Amino acid sequence: MFKNLLLIFSVFTASFTFCQNQDTSVISNEKFSISGYVNSGITGEALIGAKIYVAALKVGTISNNYGFYSLQLPKGKHSIEYRFTGLETTIREVNLIEDIQIDIEIGSKMQQIDEVQVNAKKGQNVESTKMGQIELEVEKIKTLPAFMGEVDIIKIIQLLPGVISASEGGQGFYVRGGGPDQNLVLLDEAVVYNAAHLFGFFSVFNVDAIKSVNLIKGGMPAQFGGRMSSVLEVQMNEGNNKEFKVKGGLGLISSRVTLEGPIVKNKGSFIASARRTYIDAIMKYAIPKTSAFYGSSYYFYDFNFKANYRLGPKDKVFLSGYYGKDKFIYGNKEDDFTVRMPWGNGIAAARWNHLFSSKLFMNVTSTFTDYLFAFNSTQDEFTFELASGVRDMGGKVDFSFFPNTRHKMKWGAEYIYHTFTPTSVSAKQADVTFDTGLAQKLYSHETAFYFQDEFDVNEKLRINAGLRYSMYHFVGPFTRYIKTDLSNPDSTITYNKGDVIQFYDGWEPRLSVRWLLNKTSSIKAGYSYNYQYVHLTSLSAVSLPTDIWFPTTDIAKPQEGYQVSAGYFKNFKDDKWETSVEVYYKGLKNLIEYKDGALPSDNVNDNTDNLLTFGTGRSLGIEFFIKRTYGKLTGWIGYTLAKTERKFQEINDGNYFPAKYDRRHDLSLVGSYKLSDRWTFGAAFIYATGSTLTLPSSYYIQNQDVLLNFGSRNSTRMAPYHRLDISATWYGKTTKTKTNPEGEEIVVKKKLISNWSFSVYNVYNRRNPFFMFVDNDGDLAAGDFKVTVKQVSLFPILPSVTWNFEF
Amino acid sequence: MKKYLSFLLLMSLLATSCTKEVKIDIPGYEEKLVIDGQIEPGSPPFVILSTTKNIYDPTDLQAYINSFVSGAKITVSNGVNTVVLDEICSDNLPPGSEALISELFGIPTENLVGIKICAYTTFDTSIWGEIGKTYTLKVEHEGAEYTSSTTLKTPVGFDKTFWKPEANFPNYGLGWARLSDPGSDYNAYFMQAKRINLDADGNQRDPLFKTIFNPAFNDEFVNGTTFEFAFDSPSSYEDDNVPSNVKGYYKIGDTVVTRLSQLDPQAYEFLEKKYVQINSAGNPFAVPTNIPSNIKGGALGAWIGYSPAYDTLIVKP
Repeated sequence: MFKNLLLIFSVFTASFTFCQNQDTSVISNEKFSISGYVNSGITGEALIGAKIYVAALKVGTISNNYGFYSLQLPKGKHSIEYRFTGLETTIREVNLIEDIQIDIEIGSKMQQIDEVQVNAKKGQNVESTKMGQIELEVEKIKTLPAFMGEVDIIKIIQLLPGVISASEGGQGFYVRGGGPDQNLVLLDEAVVYNAAHLFGFFSVFNVDAIKSVNLIKGGMPAQFGGRMSSVLEVQMNEGNNKEFKVKGGLGLISSRVTLEGPIVKNKGSFIASARRTYIDAIMKYAIPKTSAFYGSSYYFYDFNFKANYRLGPKDKVFLSGYYGKDKFIYGNKEDDFTVRMPWGNGIAAARWNHLFSSKLFMNVTSTFTDYLFAFNSTQDEFTFELASGVRDMGGKVDFSFFPNTRHKMKWGAEYIYHTFTPTSVSAKQADVTFDTGLAQKLYSHETAFYFQDEFDVNEKLRINAGLRYSMYHFVGPFTRYIKTDLSNPDSTITYNKGDVIQFYDGWEPRLSVRWLLNKTSSIKAGYSYNYQYVHLTSLSAVSLPTDIWFPTTDIAKPQEGYQVSAGYFKNFKDDKWETSVEVYYKGLKNLIEYKDGALPSDNVNDNTDNLLTFGTGRSLGIEFFIKRTYGKLTGWIGYTLAKTERKFQEINDGNYFPAKYDRRHDLSLVGSYKLSDRWTFGAAFIYATGSTLTLPSSYYIQNQDVLLNFGSRNSTRMAPYHRLDISATWYGKTTKTKTNPEGEEIVVKKKLISNWSFSVYNVYNRRNPFFMFVDNDGDLAAGDFKVTVKQVSLFPILPSVTWNFEF
Repeated sequence: MKKYLSFLLLMSLLATSCTKEVKIDIPGYEEKLVIDGQIEPGSPPFVILSTTKNIYDPTDLQAYINSFVSGAKITVSNGVNTVVLDEICSDNLPPGSEALISELFGIPTENLVGIKICAYTTFDTSIWGEIGKTYTLKVEHEGAEYTSSTTLKTPVGFDKTFWKPEANFPNYGLGWARLSDPGSDYNAYFMQAKRINLDADGNQRDPLFKTIFNPAFNDEFVNGTTFEFAFDSPSSYEDDNVPSNVKGYYKIGDTVVTRLSQLDPQAYEFLEKKYVQINSAGNPFAVPTNIPSNIKGGALGAWIGYSPAYDTLIVKP
């Protein structure tokens, strides 16, 4: 442990020494730094990814997640451009004779201009070291087809190359052959454990509350860790700090409303967003009181809140919160049977940005995440309750250091205290309580330190190198059940509070390299190694809230994986078209699966990890991506050719088998066409090789019952999945003509701005397979016995309409 | 109209799923031997051999008959006596055994004429079931050898069985049983029931024992406790005399015989997983579960020792 810390320290010191040497040369050339925050002139919100550029010197930088930038320039006069897509570029003339801070607002009211003129991200995909990274613009997503009228960022992400959906309409997503638990989903830097509502058909992200979405599927920077496959960074809107605004949408099954405004004008603002479905109200109406199922209902709601306040030029604080709940109730009066299934997330994050100097930026975050799933069923006098959940409390500190134009450094530390309740079960019949053992809680500490530097070796070569060191302590109180054969009682080992039951640690090197071939093309390569200390155990063929989060223990080892990738990036027609080809190979180990025949009830009086088996995985793929970034027609074509396999000692005789999300081909075409200021059309087409599943390959008879014998794991492939969705958005007029007191006709902005959004899901009504099963019917001895394979499809053609408004 | 509209909406939202029959390639089929053997106290061992069938194989009566296997050598031993079982075939039945074969295969006696299906048993009483003994099975067929063993445990009976009427249908109700689990030992239970009162034609209502819903359970959560549970009438589902809204219930006037068998852990594991599979057929949330056989050598099926205790319940108000 001490040796490891020493090593980190030496890495830090070495880097600093290196930087200082660089700095000496800078000072001798008399360079000064110009830094500050870039905000929107319209809402006052910080702008993420704004470009700060000095054309004469061909140097520039990009604002970070808090809108902060820092740039080193030689002494003298400079013309500095501040660019952000969709806003008018602002140019500042400065005479640099010392370090200065310029906080700037770009774009102002009534000056929203066409993005053709300004594109802050122009050329970025070729220039940066970023590989396998895609930023989505929330405003653009809104014009794409939406399932049941709910604009959903996760569904859009599933249309990107290398990303596939878990199932029809599902929220689970798989990145480059990784599992759904291997995605680090962050909402304002707090971990989201279950990003789904309604059994996965809707995401927890209310699009009105979302400012930016960034997906990293390869070459993960050292600042991120704890998950192996990807990072989905979602930032909430900060709220308008200039004026109060209300916006919202009315849809067929849900509605949402957002209120935002200044706390103190130009200093602090807040945003509050709420959303609720009303399927339950419809059901209440549709199911007659006399029906046995009266009282069955389903709904979800969620609530987003964020506030920020600027304490001074160097300090800013943020408070973000999310709370959402799903509730499913099924009742059958005839059988006196009720099931209640609530689940949801509660997330809170408090952050503090501090500027030590124009070169050193700090962010301190403390987060809280709570995910709980419960199941309660009663029949007559029998009650059964099950609960499962995760609670994380954590904190982190990140430093960004901009020593000179060639280097951007980051370092920091992160700590999370996990409390997992894989399953707690209680059962009662009238007065008799069944012995289901104590609810097992598992406690652990996860800690990490990292350092990374992105530096330009020369004009052509840029390197982003980082190192992360992570540690994990699995601690008591804990009871380990040692299973023997069924007829003998279990023995147990009891650990007391604070006892370290198991310790794991590991180094996670990260590297990405960019070689610029010319102004419009580059080659990139990346390597990353990751440790993941949480697991998701899934019993079902589809992603469900019943999947159980489980920590690393003395038996369940941390997941480990590496990814190597390489890509060629080329832009055409003044960066209007961005193209790329990326290849990757991923190796994974310590993956988990339930042993064959494990049943959820086996969790009781037992440790979940006693039911698990451990294995490895590998994934190989090539991704083609063509994106048209601006103009009337925007969108992308993505194609992935991939192979993903798993290998477990106790499954499939220890041979490799296809992962359930192994798709050989995955093609998506996404486009949005702006016909006029009033009409925008969108379309999305997807084609994917069918997913795999395990079906019985034979049946046999025992005691006159027909029993099934399943073939090897995931050996059956369902029919290919394909679907076309279309959308049209009609925008109401944003201005109106008015006569002023002088009798002149003037054009003024309308108070209420609205649009109608129409979507059709699955236009040609394709019956895509959701799952399959083998059904048998009839009597063997009577000769009318029949075995059939059946396919269940979920959604036929589904039109929807939503009215969105803002005032 | 509004109601109709909202109903339509609900339908389109929640009931949009559709199921259709498809034919897709399911690789991995290989024919395997299936051993379905049982023994209980005071009875001879019975074994039926058959083979697995491809999912897409024909499923008519002839195919069913053809799936049974004859010509195997089966040996049962209790550690002291070892006996080779006799093959009894439907085309050469000892007088009086037609009913037994009919019951074992589920084929009516009259249909047994002209077909050949075989079972294995013995009239040598030295190998008939005795409580506390362990019985090993050896099956030799086409050069392969399969082995297994099962133990006949001490039977555990109910404290009592009783009946409770349903609120909506006072003449009908589920059966109830009170069981005191012996605390000292591992216990696994398997429950069946039949109605023995006569129907209008003077025949016994249920000729055979059938398994109740969720028939296999063990004492993991109830070790050493006394508890009550309800059980259904398994034969009522196929009984045309029972109206559809009271299927599963016993009616006043029924006489019910319950059979609660003790199992050894391996036999329990087979039966538990068997009924999990049967009850989760077509459920997308269920894991594809192969039923663990207690037979070594690559055959499917099980060799099960049942130690039953019987109870009689007369359903009256």
